[in-house]
Amino acid sequence: MVNKPEMVDLLTAGMRGASARQRAIADNIANVETPGYRRKTVPFEQALARALASGDVPASLQTKVMMPDTTPVDDKGNNVDIEMEVGELVKNSSTYKTYLRMLSKVYRQMELAMTVQ
Amino acid sequence: MASIQGTSPINIAISGLRAENRRMKVISTNIANSATTRGPDGKPYRRQMVQLSTDPDGGVTVRGVARDLSTPLQRVYEPGNPDAAEDGYVEMPNVQLPVEMISLTEASRSYQANVAVMKRYLEMVDLTVELLK
Repeated sequence: MVNKPEMVDLLTAGMRGASARQRAIADNIANVETPGYRRKTVPFEQALARALASGDVPASLQTKVMMPDTTPVDDKGNNVDIEMEVGELVKNSSTYKTYLRMLSKVYRQMELAMTVQ
Repeated sequence: MASIQGTSPINIAISGLRAENRRMKVISTNIANSATTRGPDGKPYRRQMVQLSTDPDGGVTVRGVARDLSTPLQRVYEPGNPDAAEDGYVEMPNVQLPVEMISLTEASRSYQANVAVMKRYLEMVDLTVELLK
């Protein structure tokens, strides 16, 4: 069981990852018609899992933006699929919201502990 | 959040959206070519259909696009047409506009249904997330 500060680190790392992904998705949607554009992905969950397995502090975790160039492209050399991006966006906002709610819950618990007379 | 990853209903709905998108492309090709007497092979255009398969995870993929070779081509008497045969008949594509229009409605309704699944699932997840408030 993680203690409170570690939980805050974890949740903020997750939120940073989710907001980096949000930017990548916005980039992808903006470039849906750009010739030669390849979609960006932010695989931060894997990075977070690796960091946790090696016992690192996730607070210092860097989110990397990947641009895989092996996926099939259309006739303009573009591999962005608008349906896929919207789906990712929807999932990502849901993930972000969950992290945010959990973070506020953790803080509220701390506050509660401090106000006990 | 592991439940949102992998084969979530959202991913399945996305596969549905992509399949319907592809289907709509094929239908628009059929409609645009409803009078094309020279397709890519130099013969009259034949209507195309998407072939769908179920993914192991429950989603759908477009296996391929096949040409409808069983519905006969329509023969229209048009002696002035440069593509007309000796007897004055021109072979026209086997595209029937009413059929295509129905497929179009079907495709757009299925697209809407997949969007509805996505929305409803999100509402459900939101209910749970709001418990953390």
